[in-house]
Amino acid sequence: MTAQQAGERDATSAPGGDAAADPLLSVRNLQTHFFSREGVVKAVDGVSFDIKPGEILGIAGESGCGKSVTSQSILRILPRNGKIVGGEILFNNGDRTVDLATEEADGRVLRDIRGKEIAMIFQEPMTSFSPVHTIGDQIIETIRIHQDVSKEEARDQAVEMLRRVGMPNPVRNIEEYTFNLSGGMRQRAMVALSLSCRPKLLIADEPTTAVDVTIQAQMLELLRDIQADLGMAIIMITHDLGVIAELTDRVMIMYLGKEVEHGTVEDVFHRPQHPYTRGLLASIPKMEPGRVEIEPIEGVVPSPYAMPTGCKFHTRCPEYIAGVCEKRDPPLTAVGPGHEVSCYLYGGREELE
Amino acid sequence: MSGAGGVGQMEDRAIISVRNLVKYFPIETGFLRRQVGVVKAVDDVNFDLNEGETLALVGESGCGKTTTSHCIIQAQRPTAGHVLFRIGDSAPMDLTQMEKAELKAARRNIRMIYQDPYSSLNPRMTLLQIIGEPLVIHKMVESQEALRNKVAELLRLVRLDPSTMNRYPHAFSGGQRQRIAIARALSLSPKVVIADEAVSALDVSVQAQILNLLKELQNQLGLTYLFVAHNLAVVKYEADRVAVMYAGKIVEIGETEELYTNPRHPYTEALISAAPNPDPDTKNRARIVLAGEVADPGNLPPGCAFHPRCRYAEDRCRREIPQLVEVGGEEGPSHRAACHFASELELAGISGGAEEPERERA
Repeated sequence: MTAQQAGERDATSAPGGDAAADPLLSVRNLQTHFFSREGVVKAVDGVSFDIKPGEILGIAGESGCGKSVTSQSILRILPRNGKIVGGEILFNNGDRTVDLATEEADGRVLRDIRGKEIAMIFQEPMTSFSPVHTIGDQIIETIRIHQDVSKEEARDQAVEMLRRVGMPNPVRNIEEYTFNLSGGMRQRAMVALSLSCRPKLLIADEPTTAVDVTIQAQMLELLRDIQADLGMAIIMITHDLGVIAELTDRVMIMYLGKEVEHGTVEDVFHRPQHPYTRGLLASIPKMEPGRVEIEPIEGVVPSPYAMPTGCKFHTRCPEYIAGVCEKRDPPLTAVGPGHEVSCYLYGGREELE
Repeated sequence: MSGAGGVGQMEDRAIISVRNLVKYFPIETGFLRRQVGVVKAVDDVNFDLNEGETLALVGESGCGKTTTSHCIIQAQRPTAGHVLFRIGDSAPMDLTQMEKAELKAARRNIRMIYQDPYSSLNPRMTLLQIIGEPLVIHKMVESQEALRNKVAELLRLVRLDPSTMNRYPHAFSGGQRQRIAIARALSLSPKVVIADEAVSALDVSVQAQILNLLKELQNQLGLTYLFVAHNLAVVKYEADRVAVMYAGKIVEIGETEELYTNPRHPYTEALISAAPNPDPDTKNRARIVLAGEVADPGNLPPGCAFHPRCRYAEDRCRREIPQLVEVGGEEGPSHRAACHFASELELAGISGGAEEPERERA
């Protein structure tokens, strides 16, 4: 199992060597906007990415960059005033490909996919659970909605899943309510619930943000093990670049609804090209011996109601080119195999003329 | 013991000395609020905060780091123990023995900054009112004009535009609000600032701005910081010395670089190992993943509170509570740890991590 997984990792991290598999999910030019009295917020403004079976993709950025809205768009669980206004979310569901962006949010197709093919875990485990039902009942219900199995079989599967996520006493835990469990155990139960139907894709939205560092380490180890075991793809959404570096194969960095850089985690962390990525990496204190200075990114994130024109980062960019960056959105430019950047430093200026 | 008993206990460089600090909360139940137990939030904590330094209190939720800071400024009255405070060459004062009026004067010199600048600033007050309020309460300004001048000066100090002083907090971003909170904390020219998770709620690019601002202000104004935090990388950057807390006790205290490269308590080792590092090369490093969760301060295990999660635990750890003792050797700065086996164990610090993948590849 581990050898197979290692093979998959190699395939995805080797430049250009990942052409074999068709993408499991292909997001094309996704635009998700929010409509409120103050105006329109372009929370996600033309984002594209692919994820292959068994791959771990990270989506990183600071608050307001659109990383969580991207994941809510995929599962069509956006808040009421949020709407997908353009783009495609193509999900390869075995025999056919469906566009999740155009399906009814509460229609048959999405209800079949949500929880079964694509599952999600959240920052706060209580978001996933009802407090008035036992953990077991909720997992069994999820299994029986999506699979034609008896109650006893579903129960066995639930116990097995709780065991896999490292619950200390699955047969007893299945009868428990979430309030009986400690924070770390709730997180494990949430992972068990999300994986109970063996999804092809797991979306993890800041699952380690609210927990202590030793519990975070347990959670990351669990995700690594369970991914090696079950082989599903994972989209890890977080603001914590440490978590990205520890877990993911590829990473997409977002800023104000736009993709700014995208590549293997090694390329993006060791050879960051976009000034925002470089700034972000330079601003994190490091766990390294000796004195390592940090350099903040100047200025503040602009208000979503008063977005800058052109490149969204130009107001804070140390390499801002007057007369260029504020004109139009920079196009994505390849700077290496599988490594793309949207910045006029690397190309696209000729189109402005 | 009265305040006078503490006079001889302060070290030369100390501005605040915490001595045998204890804070217990009763666990009550039922209609009659019968006491059925006690939460030992802070249990016999001792340390000195030296003038001009940044001392970090680190640990996971429930370890007692915030309660310790609250007991220092007497926002919560400790169950037992002393907090000695001294300005310059004057005689030390014991904050735990003070009446309200005396405390008010002492608190001018010890100010706090909180984690969430969205809830710590009153949304109905302008910056002028927020930052000026302590000055008015302590009657530090004579006129409205003097107040405006002082607030303008404070805003410039934290790199905000003084012309914004009539605006309300909602007009500012998280990082700017934290600057406002810092300006308010500094309005009375305090000697000590307690920053309780002051950068935890901020995005990393803004967090870096605030960390650097705090350092600049420290150099400029000669401030002493008690920096309460859970993020070890942030603490590494900001602090001169670090005290690691677990279940209400300090388990290790020493100079930052020494403590990170040469930890002497297994809990410190595990914390350092668990901290995610933004470097994919260390992805495959051997991590110490602690089993279980933080000890419940309402129901502590016997002996060393860390023993159920400690991979080095032996029989003695289950019976005997280890004392915080010097482990740094005769010369050099003090380094203390509370572990029976501190001198025998070979624990890994931050230097080890990066080299391992190289060896694996070879």
